[in-house]
Amino acid sequence: MRSRIREIVVKELRQALREPRMRALLFFPPVLQLVIFGFAVNLDVNNARIAWFDGDRTPASRELRERFEGSGYFTVLAMPRRDREVRDLLDHGDVQAVVQILPGFARDVDRGRASVQVLVDGTNSNTASLIASYANQIVTSFSQRATQARLDRKLGTSVPTNILPVNTASRVWFNPELRSRTYFVPGVIVNIVMLVTVMLTAMAIVREKEIGTMEQLMVTPIRPVELIIGKTVPFAGIGVVNMIMITLAALLVFQIPFRGSALLLLASTLLFLLTTLGLGLFISTVSHTQQQAMMSTFFLFLPALMLSGFAFPIQNMPAPVQWLTYLIPARYFMEIVRGIFLKGTGFAVLWPAMLALAVLGTVILSLSVMRFHKRLD
Amino acid sequence: MPENAVEVRGLVKRFGDFHAVDDVSFEVSRGEIFGFLGPNGAGKSTTIRILCGLLSPTAGEARVGGYDVATEAEQVKENIGYMSQKFSLYDDLAVEENIDFFSGVYGVRREIRETRKEYVLKMAGLENRRGDMTRLLAGGWKQRLALGCAILHEPPILFLDEPTSGVDPIARRTFWDLIYQLAEAGNTVFVSTHYMDEAEYCHRIALMYRGRIVALGAPAELKRSLNLPSMEDVFISRIEEEERRTA
Amino acid sequence: MTFRRYRAVAKKEFLHILRDWRSLFAALAMPLVLLLLFGYALTLDVDRIATYVYDQDGTPESRELVERFRGSRYFDVLAMVGDYQTVERGIDTSRILLGVVIPNDFSSNVLSGKEADVQLLLDGSDSNTASLALGYAEGLMQMYALEVQNRAQNQKGMGHPGPAVDARIRVWYNSELQSKNYIVPGLIAVILMIIAALLTSLTIAREWENGTMEQLLSTPLRPAELLLGKLSAFFVLGLVDTVIAIFVGVVVFEVPLRGNPLFLLAASSIFLFGALCWGILISTVARSQLMAYQMGILSSFLPAFLLSGFVYAIENMPPVIRLLTYIIPARYFVTILKGIFLKGAGPEVLWGPLALLCVYAAVVFFLATKRLRQKVA
Repeated sequence: MRSRIREIVVKELRQALREPRMRALLFFPPVLQLVIFGFAVNLDVNNARIAWFDGDRTPASRELRERFEGSGYFTVLAMPRRDREVRDLLDHGDVQAVVQILPGFARDVDRGRASVQVLVDGTNSNTASLIASYANQIVTSFSQRATQARLDRKLGTSVPTNILPVNTASRVWFNPELRSRTYFVPGVIVNIVMLVTVMLTAMAIVREKEIGTMEQLMVTPIRPVELIIGKTVPFAGIGVVNMIMITLAALLVFQIPFRGSALLLLASTLLFLLTTLGLGLFISTVSHTQQQAMMSTFFLFLPALMLSGFAFPIQNMPAPVQWLTYLIPARYFMEIVRGIFLKGTGFAVLWPAMLALAVLGTVILSLSVMRFHKRLD
Repeated sequence: MPENAVEVRGLVKRFGDFHAVDDVSFEVSRGEIFGFLGPNGAGKSTTIRILCGLLSPTAGEARVGGYDVATEAEQVKENIGYMSQKFSLYDDLAVEENIDFFSGVYGVRREIRETRKEYVLKMAGLENRRGDMTRLLAGGWKQRLALGCAILHEPPILFLDEPTSGVDPIARRTFWDLIYQLAEAGNTVFVSTHYMDEAEYCHRIALMYRGRIVALGAPAELKRSLNLPSMEDVFISRIEEEERRTA
Repeated sequence: MTFRRYRAVAKKEFLHILRDWRSLFAALAMPLVLLLLFGYALTLDVDRIATYVYDQDGTPESRELVERFRGSRYFDVLAMVGDYQTVERGIDTSRILLGVVIPNDFSSNVLSGKEADVQLLLDGSDSNTASLALGYAEGLMQMYALEVQNRAQNQKGMGHPGPAVDARIRVWYNSELQSKNYIVPGLIAVILMIIAALLTSLTIAREWENGTMEQLLSTPLRPAELLLGKLSAFFVLGLVDTVIAIFVGVVVFEVPLRGNPLFLLAASSIFLFGALCWGILISTVARSQLMAYQMGILSSFLPAFLLSGFVYAIENMPPVIRLLTYIIPARYFVTILKGIFLKGAGPEVLWGPLALLCVYAAVVFFLATKRLRQKVA
């Protein structure tokens, strides 16, 4: 039994690794995704492009501008003079926000009832929320200083009445610089392992069906279990290699913290592989052509990725969709990977997710094995 | 090993409303070269696939090497070699790698693997091309390699489904020499074809048309009983009669 | 170029598509699934942030602060906890995102005019959610602090100073700041890329594999006729998908369509044509379906998804990758889509990206016919 499995493993590896283009395809996607998610894709806002419409031109309005520029969040790109220019700048998407200061701003500040108008391009709601929040903070702190100055003048002293009675001390855990990269890069492991193993498994079997060699295999005394193990083990190996590659890149290139246990990561990867290989196998039992297999893979992969919490937080989803995510193995593995990398959580916290993976994996794999017959009809 | 290598009784295979195999019965004795003759779509391949345990019969019984194909498909597979209509080795493996692979999955004993490999390479005339990619081989060599891979485990019964389609006449001739060698060594060879000249090479043939066997016997015997000069005439006359009967 | 020959090819392709119900289903269901996901389930907008409050103080003042958190739609106070460990554990196990710790000297400090510290503990792994959560929490605390200050100064008889400067934020184009409003329009680009790159390149790669392409090339058919004939069926399919996406987006998800729908269809047609030619170009380069699929995903779907500004803002990317986005046609199409949908922009504003799309379509069409001609020769 063992030797027959080994024959198939050797053959699959030979076929997968022989062609240079195939070899490239095994290693190119992880590298590409790492570059994209490590460098390119970014939800953080810094250097937002703004325009500054100053209708007052006083020291007070200039001071506010310096505060915006000095915050590190904003770059002033244009100083429009007319309303029409403001509209054009926003319509063309040249700037993301416009700060408008009305004439008489300095006077109103002294009277304690000035206002600053911030026009935000809401096209990208996420960026817009952050811009609004940063602008608000800068204006508020400017306002407090102005209030203090006014009180000082009124009382004729410079008594340090404390500026704000309540002070917030924020402590951000796990990702103190709040970098998108730290969040995305570990998730790439889930992505790649899923994409590569599901597709390769599904394709390896369907291709044999298409070229007719499956028929040849079926008349040999090989047992379905042997065939399945032989067909899946090589791809599990490739999945593990991918996982290790990405982990190393995350640590060495992207300086992502790794706070948990490497062994636990390996164990969870193996559990996750149960589900992806099972899924690949399942797809191959319902597809007759490679095209069908690929379309099915893609069709399942995309929602699974979207609902795994990779880029879109699960807690923001409507409740029924949140329940649905419990059926998606990637969701658990995502939680585990991020837990191990960023939080250093151990088995004590992660065991429910691992158990879920084990259960889902067993179910998917047994369903596929049951569907996998050594007959053509 | 029972007297007959293959025994088929009232075999039926339906795909939906279509009767691919319609109440077929025959037997093949050991060491015989049994030909399956008929136009495309007559049900030859379906019958062979059932006998190999690849398809399950809708009704009737078929025993290969004494085992029931419906219930003992795995035992059947230990005793047969099968070569399908479509060329079915791995194009992207070398000649030798294909042989090693099939030796492995057929469970050929380790100590005789090398001798079997050399035998197959010699038989297929590929001793000097063992490292070549299979896709580079010409049709005749591919066919012989496929046959070689199907007999690595020395199966007593061989099923060859149109093994010579698309191969040049000389290669076909060589291939039939191989079939004779195998039969002389005591193997049963079950071969389907639509070449009339090949029918003459068989010990016995069954003429299949629209899922039924319309004639069965030794080629010479069939020609004599119908008083016709060639197999082609036998074939046409039997089909015409069948058409008249069903019309 | 003969119309009759073109029509024969086009008819054959239509038959292929109509017979292969699985691919047809995938092509038509894919936009719906994606729309459903992005319109309903996936959002980057943060609200109902899971929060624990640890109120060490337990006074009317601290309870007032807690009520603020409870009353805000951005926070969901799951529990009042009695110790620090529970907060830490809540963050470790991802039960909560935010922990608010009110120290036991809070009210005495507030009442005596001294500075009171409130600690915010935040799970920063998801930097985007964390940034937004932090912004909301600090905003809420500032509001509370200002009111406390006003009350204190009122009591001291200093009059009501109020905030000196007030930021009035107005959001244009997407005033409710809903991410679906900017994601759903961009989705059209992604859907068209899937149809074009995956379906087209796969179908044609299969013809190469089966040898039917050789058969076609041996007929008097000219490359351009063959190309256009092959494209027609997918073109129609792509336009149907576009219409489905627009219809569902506008009617079901109430995404505003402020521009001209006909202009939208025209721009989509240009993009679709270019993308389909790209699919054919891939299929002539790739040797097998597996290769075509991988190349399709890597060269068109991923960039359209990640580097087009569809979800992730291009301005946040590092300069090298920002340069790279200029050669991605989806980037221009996404700009056009968002312009038409959200800003109601017409050709007079969008002529730049539109012209570049035309250039792209022409270049890829030329390359694809050239490749086909080489194959014939």
